[in-house]
Amino acid sequence: MNYFSFYKDGKALYCLFFLGIMLSFSSLYANISFRQNSNPQLQIKGVVTNGSDPLPGVTISVKNKPVIAVSDYSGQYTITAATDDELIVSYIGFKTAVIAVAGRTVVDIRLEYDTTALQEVKVNAGYYSVKESERTGSIARITSKDIENQPVSNILASMQGRMAGVSITQTTGVPGGGFDIKIRGQNSLRTDGNSPLYIIDGVPFSSESIGASQTGTSFPGLTSPLNSINPDSVESIEILKDADATSIYGSRGANGVVLITTKKGKAGRTRYSINASSGTGRVTKFLNLMDTTEYLKMRRQAFANDNITTYGPLDYDVNGTWDQNRSTDWQKELLGGTAQLTDINTSISGGSVNTQFSINGSYNSQSTVFPGDFTYSKAGAHVSLNHQSEDSKFRLSFSVGYNIQRNNQPSYDFTYDARSLPPNAPSLFTADGRLNWENGTWDNPLRNLNTEFKSHTNDLTANTVFSYDIAKELSAKINIGYTSLQNDESRIVPSTIQNPAYNITSASSSIFLNDIQRFSWIAEPQLNWKKSTQYGAFDMLLGATFQNRESSRMVQSGTGFTSNNLIYNLLSAKTVRVLGNDETQYKYQAFFGRLNYNLHQRYILNLTARRDGSSRFGPGNQFAFFGAVGAAWLFYKEQFIKDNSWLNFGKIRASYGTTGSDQIGDYQFLDTYTANSVLYSGITGLAPSRLYNAGFGWETNRKLEVAMELGFLQDRIFFTTAWYRNRSSNQLVGIPLPSTTGFTSIQANLGAVVENSGLEFTLRTVNFTQGSFSWTTSLNLTSPRTKLVDFPNLQSSSYRNQYRIGSPLNIQLLYNFKGVNPQTGLYEYQDINNDGIISFPEDKQIVRDLSPKYYGGIQNQLIYKRISLDFLFQFTKQLNKSYPMGPAGLMSNQQQRIKNSWSQPGDQAIYQIYTTGYDKAAVTADALYNESTAFVTDASFIRLKNICLSYDVPLNLRDTQLKIVLQGQNLLTFTKYRDGDPEFISYGFLPPLKIITAGIQLNF
Amino acid sequence: MKALSKLKLYIPLTVLFNSLFSCDSFIEVGLPKSQLTTEAVFEDYNTAEAALLNIYSGIRDRGILTGTGQGISNLLGNYADELVSSESPTNSSLNFYKNSLMTTNTAVSGFWTVSYNQIYAANAILEGTHKSDKMTIEQKKQLQGECYFIRALLHFYLSELFGSIPYITDTDFRKNSKATRMPLPLIYENIEADLQKALTMIPSQYLEQERVRPNAAAVQALLARIYLYNKAYGEASNAASAVLNQNQLYILETLNTAFLISSKETIWQLHAGTAGRNTSEASYFTFTAIPPPQVYLSGTLLSSFDAADLRRTAWIKAVTKNSATFYHAFKYKENNATAVSKEYSIVFRLAEQFLIRAESRAYQGDLIGAKEDLNKVRNRAGLTNTGAVSQQEIIEAVVHERRHELFTEQGHRFFDLKRTGKLDNVLGPIKMAWNTTNILLPIPQSELATNPNLLPQNPGY
Repeated sequence: MNYFSFYKDGKALYCLFFLGIMLSFSSLYANISFRQNSNPQLQIKGVVTNGSDPLPGVTISVKNKPVIAVSDYSGQYTITAATDDELIVSYIGFKTAVIAVAGRTVVDIRLEYDTTALQEVKVNAGYYSVKESERTGSIARITSKDIENQPVSNILASMQGRMAGVSITQTTGVPGGGFDIKIRGQNSLRTDGNSPLYIIDGVPFSSESIGASQTGTSFPGLTSPLNSINPDSVESIEILKDADATSIYGSRGANGVVLITTKKGKAGRTRYSINASSGTGRVTKFLNLMDTTEYLKMRRQAFANDNITTYGPLDYDVNGTWDQNRSTDWQKELLGGTAQLTDINTSISGGSVNTQFSINGSYNSQSTVFPGDFTYSKAGAHVSLNHQSEDSKFRLSFSVGYNIQRNNQPSYDFTYDARSLPPNAPSLFTADGRLNWENGTWDNPLRNLNTEFKSHTNDLTANTVFSYDIAKELSAKINIGYTSLQNDESRIVPSTIQNPAYNITSASSSIFLNDIQRFSWIAEPQLNWKKSTQYGAFDMLLGATFQNRESSRMVQSGTGFTSNNLIYNLLSAKTVRVLGNDETQYKYQAFFGRLNYNLHQRYILNLTARRDGSSRFGPGNQFAFFGAVGAAWLFYKEQFIKDNSWLNFGKIRASYGTTGSDQIGDYQFLDTYTANSVLYSGITGLAPSRLYNAGFGWETNRKLEVAMELGFLQDRIFFTTAWYRNRSSNQLVGIPLPSTTGFTSIQANLGAVVENSGLEFTLRTVNFTQGSFSWTTSLNLTSPRTKLVDFPNLQSSSYRNQYRIGSPLNIQLLYNFKGVNPQTGLYEYQDINNDGIISFPEDKQIVRDLSPKYYGGIQNQLIYKRISLDFLFQFTKQLNKSYPMGPAGLMSNQQQRIKNSWSQPGDQAIYQIYTTGYDKAAVTADALYNESTAFVTDASFIRLKNICLSYDVPLNLRDTQLKIVLQGQNLLTFTKYRDGDPEFISYGFLPPLKIITAGIQLNF
Repeated sequence: MKALSKLKLYIPLTVLFNSLFSCDSFIEVGLPKSQLTTEAVFEDYNTAEAALLNIYSGIRDRGILTGTGQGISNLLGNYADELVSSESPTNSSLNFYKNSLMTTNTAVSGFWTVSYNQIYAANAILEGTHKSDKMTIEQKKQLQGECYFIRALLHFYLSELFGSIPYITDTDFRKNSKATRMPLPLIYENIEADLQKALTMIPSQYLEQERVRPNAAAVQALLARIYLYNKAYGEASNAASAVLNQNQLYILETLNTAFLISSKETIWQLHAGTAGRNTSEASYFTFTAIPPPQVYLSGTLLSSFDAADLRRTAWIKAVTKNSATFYHAFKYKENNATAVSKEYSIVFRLAEQFLIRAESRAYQGDLIGAKEDLNKVRNRAGLTNTGAVSQQEIIEAVVHERRHELFTEQGHRFFDLKRTGKLDNVLGPIKMAWNTTNILLPIPQSELATNPNLLPQNPGY
């Protein structure tokens, strides 16, 4: 077991030592600059207001002294200063005031709004931070203010609809499930190669799924580790999009970078805060299904259509075995429950000028809408500590987060059963409360409640940054991070999921266990040089990255227990098998640099570069170089426009550069055999791992962006627009192969070029701000387009029936639906090649694009005195597939609209003839229907994604604030889509829930 | 002082960057713990053998010959007239039962992809052992012989199911991704050639006690079947004799012992893997309460048995509740794990060889010899000697006997109807959606999409 091979590589250690040595010079450079003031000290008090209301959280410091104070919730502050000192009063959104004490002991301060101060906000760009006004790259941002408004437990959920160019889709409503995120579209033909790079406080966080198919659950896909990130501890999330911002992340920046900054302490009095909320969640939208009368009518007609006069012994729904007057709304029965949500979050923060701390603890739990008692709970702690030496030369920043998740779910999503069970299927329970098997005529869906899925995830992320100012212009820094993730999952299949009449005992019960451990460390020494000259300001950064990640996994199964009560004890299993056991390693190293040149805060040039090496590529292909150039022109400072009364900010920026992607999994270049868990003659087998190709290299993505940012009327209207074009080439894909090769794909570079281009707009307007009422609106809109630009020999490649040059990647090739033939009652399709039969691929040629045409969100914030209302509408214009329910007439429920089906020659019907499955022509026509133009439908929607109403209770208590908060998620959805909720990646899973919570926020 | 501080600055900086740029070896990683290089696999007989055994466990668990519901024992039983699938839309047997297969049927594409993956594995061993200089000639011959046998066996089933198919003999994916469908006679030539090669390499004794590795007799058994299917009756008869003549090693057992691990009737069976595990056939076919959850034996099969036929009671079990009775195949009896494994899934057994020789002899005019072989099987089932007299009668009696001897075993019934041209006559009247073109399964749509050389699709799909 060598989880931590930090010391194995002498060179890495050697590199790291340098920084230590360099930092040890610190004492040489330290000098005492603290100047003792001989003037008498005063205790100064006062209130900070905006003219009408008190301002809490305002920082008041004494010029040139390490003294700091922060105003409380009634705007009051106290600070010690000398009679001739000056107070510096600063607060985001207001102009910084410098006020002379002039011997006073009461200094009331009135701050003036500075709308342009938004431009002064420092934006985190990863290795460096940059003033909003001076950034040359494309960075979208949300802060804890937006995150706190939402009753969600996943950080991706908190970003939905709020950022231009970022499309996020929830894949299941089951708690602990995942989200699909695409930043500026799909760059890779590989569907699993489009996730962004996540970085928490400088430490990369692997988003590669944990979990195993054997412990597979009700999620579409495996468990996502992103649930470990606790939204309550997040201060801000920045998304880096263009080349200027992402090239410094080189090979991992192609799909964008998500930077998560956790909460830090602030100097001043120790503050306490408690947030607690509780609420409920329900399914947003059900299908409109047939009732018993409609269903049985369909069934009988189907038998008649197939010329079957006597019902078979197994056709329980129609042959009289089941009560034909029973009617159950299975969606209500199986998905109609109410999930309970609880969230508690507490924090303490404070500190002195030199040392600040913040401690945050949280607990979150959510039950499900399924029947049965299942919960997902999450608890975590986050600690952050900042320190600087007296002379401010040495700085340390430390943060650690630890999260525990416990998820207990049925390992089965009842959505399929809820939609397909005949409405006259028997009742779930017998009169005496046991599961009803109705003499073995059905598989009671609730049997699946016994197949529990349990997941325990413990996740630690720790990070320390040491920095030291070596000289006036030069500083050194090292960022050392460590992450550890442990996940164990289990899924049980007890004998109780079977009808007891079959006498299946616990001897055939089984359990599947999956244990994953993932450790990584990263070390990033950096040097920063800054110099301002009359020829402009230079800011240079040089750094290196060493990263090592080791994962180990063990998948086991146990079968045969003396009792189902012992099922969680592997020791009690008669047969224990190891289904998988592996340890893998991923190593990564890079050198990066940035040179920023700023002339008169007007012309800015930003050069970034990175040389990356990754262990995921074979010899000769391991290294690659990435770089970008970005520039900004703050034209509002030019003479010809200066002092314009309506335009107060104007910037044009552009960038071009390259990024790459190495998201292909480890060891794909090796020619190996893999140990298989399967035994034969007592020997464990060895299977060829893959088709061998060591020659593949980096995927490259060239990004181009031009953007303009304009502020009007003191930023009361702030507008940005960006045009981008990302071209990714040298596509690294598992090229589909016919099975005659032995495998279904091979890892290789493909000459295909994928282009993602689009326009992004954001508009923020302060509609009204007068006295105690203010109203602001933010809009973001993205119109993306993905295009397959080039694909050498597409027609002779295995992708020919999947893509079209000039079309988006997310297209479907479909049969052209013509309608129902009034004579035969069958669906008909266009016979494109006129050969008399509908055949694949010749007739499956109609292209439909399922990628969104545009998407975005409109957020409004209204504040009146102590009441604030914040709501966000999210919208998407898109096509998507209907929900397939199989040929109508089988023993499976159908959508109510199908009841108007063809029944006799001459009928002009929308839906075809019913069949019990014996009419092969009808079965075939139905299968083609699901691959035809009729099946793709408008799935656009507008959704009230989030609403938050809060009331600041007047307490007249010094330093105390109490807010009552009502929050809602997904409360309203407007859509034409008829097959359930329009937000999904793959259908048949529980849709997102609509959630209402109420809570309090107490700060003191 | 100033100069000194500058020096202090530059020395560490220089060293830092020198060291950083010499750190390229940092990204070297070792092999993952679960993997072994291909070269290393064939440096050692034990690991090479593990690669071979993995193909057998694959054949047992997945693809055409698996005893699970996804194999042909079940699916072709439904497709022909042996089994009835219970009417649940999620039952994967249902589309076979209803003879309404789509080109996207996952079981059908499973037959194709799994078999070619196993063929790849066999070819990889042939190539790996060929290159290896660490194994003895004997070791290589034995491994290679089994690989030729596997390659022939899988291509045989693929061609029976899909008609003309590509015959893959190496691991070159560039070539094999453009593979074309080979005409049937040529496929049979290739199969025969591979089996003849195997015959010269595989020992006649079993490597292991439990007959879980194919020996020369298994190769002969497959040859006999292939000759019979191709109406090469002389060769079929000789190949079958090569097995039947080893009458110390192979003996017809009683009905109740024929499917046990120790059965001397077995020519080749598939090891169950884990100790205590039994066959997938038993766990899939057996039901203990009714209505049957998956499949049950059809009325036509049940009623075709002679009243005196002991197989009707020894190999078939009735489950009754109230007044309803359903029947399941009961050749394999252990549907759960037992302390020690009792049954393995049998691929070749002696009874079939008797029936192959009986049919071949009949066609060759050796009616006495034919009846003698046929009666061996009949007598074991408690039946009297056949009453068939003429050549035609005897041939029909043999085919009739095969139906009752080999039911629910690897699709024998379907293949018999197919090779004797009786599919339409027999299945047409009793299977509602039966169509002449159902004689072949559809080539999976995904395969046609990735390799257009496989076009056109089989008729009817």
